[in-house]
Amino acid sequence: MANEPIVSLRQVTKRVGRKTLIDNLTFEVPQGEIFGFLGPNGAGKTTTIRMMVGLMAISEGEIRIKGKNIKTEFEQAIRHVGAIVENPEMYKFLTGYQNLIHFARMVPGVTKERIDEVIALVKLEDRIHDKVRKYSLGMRQRLGVAQALLHRPSLLILDEPTNGLDPAGIRELRDYLRHLTRTEGITVIVSSHLLSEMELMCDSVAILMHGKLVDVKPIGDFIGGNEQAQTYLIEATPAEQALGEIKAIVGVQGVEMTDEGLLVTAVRDQIPAILAHLMRQDIQIYGVRAVRQSLEDRFLQITGGEQVG
Amino acid sequence: MVNLIRNENMKLYRRWRTWVMVGFMIAAVLVGSFVEWYYDSSDASWRNDVIEQQQDMQAVLSDPELDPESQVYYKDQLAIIDYRLTHDIRPEPGTMWDGINGSASLFILITLFTVIVAGDSLAGEFTAGTIKLLLIRPASRLKILISKYLSMILFGFGLLIILFVVSVLVNGLLYQFKAIDLPLLTVNGEGVVVEKSMVANLWQTYLLNGVSTIIFVTMAFMISSAFRSSAMAIGISIFSLFAGTIVLELLQRYEWSKYLLFANLDLSQYLSGRPYQDGMTLSFSVIVLALYFILFNLVSWLVFTRRDVAA
Ligand SMILES: Nc1ncnc2c1ncn2[C@@H]1O[C@H](COP(=O)(O)OP(=O)(O)OP(=O)(O)O)[C@@H](O)[C@H]1O
Ligand SMILES: [Mg+2]
Repeated sequence: MANEPIVSLRQVTKRVGRKTLIDNLTFEVPQGEIFGFLGPNGAGKTTTIRMMVGLMAISEGEIRIKGKNIKTEFEQAIRHVGAIVENPEMYKFLTGYQNLIHFARMVPGVTKERIDEVIALVKLEDRIHDKVRKYSLGMRQRLGVAQALLHRPSLLILDEPTNGLDPAGIRELRDYLRHLTRTEGITVIVSSHLLSEMELMCDSVAILMHGKLVDVKPIGDFIGGNEQAQTYLIEATPAEQALGEIKAIVGVQGVEMTDEGLLVTAVRDQIPAILAHLMRQDIQIYGVRAVRQSLEDRFLQITGGEQVG
Repeated sequence: MVNLIRNENMKLYRRWRTWVMVGFMIAAVLVGSFVEWYYDSSDASWRNDVIEQQQDMQAVLSDPELDPESQVYYKDQLAIIDYRLTHDIRPEPGTMWDGINGSASLFILITLFTVIVAGDSLAGEFTAGTIKLLLIRPASRLKILISKYLSMILFGFGLLIILFVVSVLVNGLLYQFKAIDLPLLTVNGEGVVVEKSMVANLWQTYLLNGVSTIIFVTMAFMISSAFRSSAMAIGISIFSLFAGTIVLELLQRYEWSKYLLFANLDLSQYLSGRPYQDGMTLSFSVIVLALYFILFNLVSWLVFTRRDVAA
């Protein structure tokens, strides 16, 4: 069943002592998507991931992976998961290859050929027989991705995978994740601080704040569609007069004067009416364009610019 | 499970630290045996020494005020000397067995090294953060714990084999393997001298020591899993390894001290017939040790399988 969600969280709550780290999370991750976890520092992204992979007990609610309860059917559920939680910490005193052997042995059916295949995939062939101690952060990240992919998981969970990668590495990772979802039907969950990254990478995002779910939506909806208010830049003179006129129009959600022009927040359908109104007042209009609001702006808007939760 | 143990072994033997321990073990046996051999003054004329001993003991025994316990002891020793002289069986000094038996005291190194490795095996994964990758595989936490435990026991056993082989080889070479079939003479319950195999006796000593090694390893594991700190696990275990006997001496006058772990660790106290407190028996100690063993393992298991991993 293609539509069955690969991961489902139902009223998941995590408490440590009196503190509630995660509060009543309910959402589903559809199969075959790249799904983003977004939230300021301390929002609870890593905590949620830890519960998903069984590293932390769930205080209330349940998490199912491929229909298997992570708590009561741990071994069947985790079999389908490959993950990096926070930093990709590997055994430093072993070589990259020995690390892969180590994790390959823990899951039945991973062959030597598969190990070589994964090494080629993350482009570590040249350094795989070096001790991990000598790896750069980006190389460790690659090795982390390699160990997560060894057993051909259906769900790949990567906590801040771009951390430590150079731009080329990030691009490679992105292309690679796309490739995995398209050709192998793998579902990927990524959390990241690089919001612009998420915008390029993800199909949907869940926004977390203070351990609560703020929103889950396809990425397009965050950036803005027809029914949603967007920001438009209008170059008009005299600007002062235009500002006053626009403010008076019912339905305009906001207007602001900048050096470039007036930044107007309104629904797309309203734009012709606004322009017509300005022209009737003999205001000269030199240009109008939609300012594509990045996820980052949207995110800051939602979270009120707050950076640490 | 086999794969898990192979993993643990790989992590253990791919570290130079482990081989330093092995090297140190070998060096200690070599040096100890060599020093003992070098200062060994006994020669082929063991009869004269034994006869001299015999006379000394007879003199002591003739003292009417000697307590009954010592009387039994000296009588037994004299019986053994008689047996030696009539059956032409020399005492161990001046043979390879003296060195080999002496090397058995290096067993403490096995305990020490195994405890260090055990203390780090679990806690080290938490410190390094690798525990996260270890626990998100289709292997239960219990299996992982057991595989670590077994690999530690295997390591300790490996060190024991090294101790045995190296001490037999080096002492054999130093003494040209003379008297290799020398029996051990002891007096049984009925006061009759019996011949025992020297090797069997050696392994009996090893096994009795092994009991305390296993208990200390279990303890190191428990502390590792509770506090997730290698330093703490190794520190506390080694401290109790050395401080245990001192504490015991201070507490000997209290009867309850016989329930302490350390009072029961040394099972050879029953071979020599001088238990830590009167009324303690071998089965008492075995039961007490078994209870501690179960308790320690239960704590490790409960804590390790339940606690959140936030490393
Ligand atoms: N073991 C713990 N005990 C108590 N509080 C914890 C524990 N682990 C995390 N927290 C708290 O839970 C909150 C969420 O932490 P978490 O690591 O999930 O955030 P995050 O979204 O991953 O942040 P970041 O973007 O910085 O990685 C934080 O306030 C943190 O202080
Ligand atoms: Mg995090």
